[in-house]
Amino acid sequence: MSDDAILQFLDEATDIAMDELLAASGLARAELLELVELGAFGPRPGARGGEPLGDPAGWRFSSRTIVLGRRAARLRDDFGLDAAGMALALAYLERIEALERRLRELECQLLR
Amino acid sequence: MKYKDYYAVLGVERGASQDDIKKAYRRLARKYHPDVSKEPDAEEQFKQVGEAYETLKDPEKRAAYDQLGRHQAGQEFRPPPDWESRFSPGGFEDLDLGDLFAHFGARPGRGFSGRAGERFAMAGQDYEVSATLALEDAARGTELAIQIAVPESGPDGVRRRTPKAVRVRIPKGVIEGERLRIPGKGGPGLNGGPAGDLYLDIRLEPHSLFRASGHDLYLELPLAPWEAVLGAQIDVPTLDGRISLAVKPGARAGQKLRVPGRGLPRPKGGAGDLYCVLAIVTPSDPSEREKALYRELASASRFDPRAHFKKGEPA
Repeated sequence: MSDDAILQFLDEATDIAMDELLAASGLARAELLELVELGAFGPRPGARGGEPLGDPAGWRFSSRTIVLGRRAARLRDDFGLDAAGMALALAYLERIEALERRLRELECQLLR
Repeated sequence: MKYKDYYAVLGVERGASQDDIKKAYRRLARKYHPDVSKEPDAEEQFKQVGEAYETLKDPEKRAAYDQLGRHQAGQEFRPPPDWESRFSPGGFEDLDLGDLFAHFGARPGRGFSGRAGERFAMAGQDYEVSATLALEDAARGTELAIQIAVPESGPDGVRRRTPKAVRVRIPKGVIEGERLRIPGKGGPGLNGGPAGDLYLDIRLEPHSLFRASGHDLYLELPLAPWEAVLGAQIDVPTLDGRISLAVKPGARAGQKLRVPGRGLPRPKGGAGDLYCVLAIVTPSDPSEREKALYRELASASRFDPRAHFKKGEPA
């Protein structure tokens, strides 16, 4: 048995750095920047809101972006998708997840 | 070593072109991909398809695989003698064919890559495991022992899958679909590379009373008809003990009563809400006296539950 491990929530509340996102997702830097450009996901807003200024190397992301980045890399590897394809698939999958959450919420309110 | 029929897994002929193999893989990947498929055994199917494709897409690996000859899937077989001297002096009995092929290129100085002497630092494998928790454990926090099979190099330099248990302390407040990452607890790195990570996909077991939606909990609250009409003070179970809830007179089925802060706790403090969804239930086996009282009520009441039908009804 190994010792108690450090654990990270992959959610909107926790922050990660660009390098960590690259390492955890398996995306190349250029791919990641293209996915940001395509709106698949984005960095934390800058000090004045909107896109952060300066070198993208200093960008910060929500840790949930790791889930999206890994999913994008898997879709790239398994289906040969380019960035536009990855962004589209991510958008659909997020839409499905949102619908599934809504469905679960409504199911909770149904009487058995 | 057990034989795996990679051609059969992909559903292609032995003589299939590289292009046909790729197409067959893409088709099956679309069917079983864990991000896309909802089939119950999709993940296992996808793993097998992926393993077959990893070997057959690489002409060198494919040639080596073809050298093994044809066997029944799952049948024990002995690789050709030159294989043993080249890849696994310790023998093949407990080796997995997929592991062997996966590390052909990775093991320096061995395998078919011919990149003798090069030692690449390689990050260890990441593992994605789904863990199912009881609702009470998700609320309180719990400890899990996650079992993974990690490839480790034996004294003969051959990598074999070794079971490994990773103990993980799950803090309170995780919900259905929560993703957790435990850095460095995946497979060991190669040649000084970093260890892989462990990813947990949290699922919640169905509970006999509560249903969870995010941090909110839902409880079906059955009322007797007279409780619904007259109102009642009712004891209601929550995750931490019973509370007393006032139901106002004139309650309707499907109505939701919100009990703030009695849902699942949030990791950084606070909690979701508990919603009691009112149901009106009737006795399944009423006594003669009860029936008589209902009949009396029916004749005394001027209540028409279907009054609105008259307005909307087609002429």
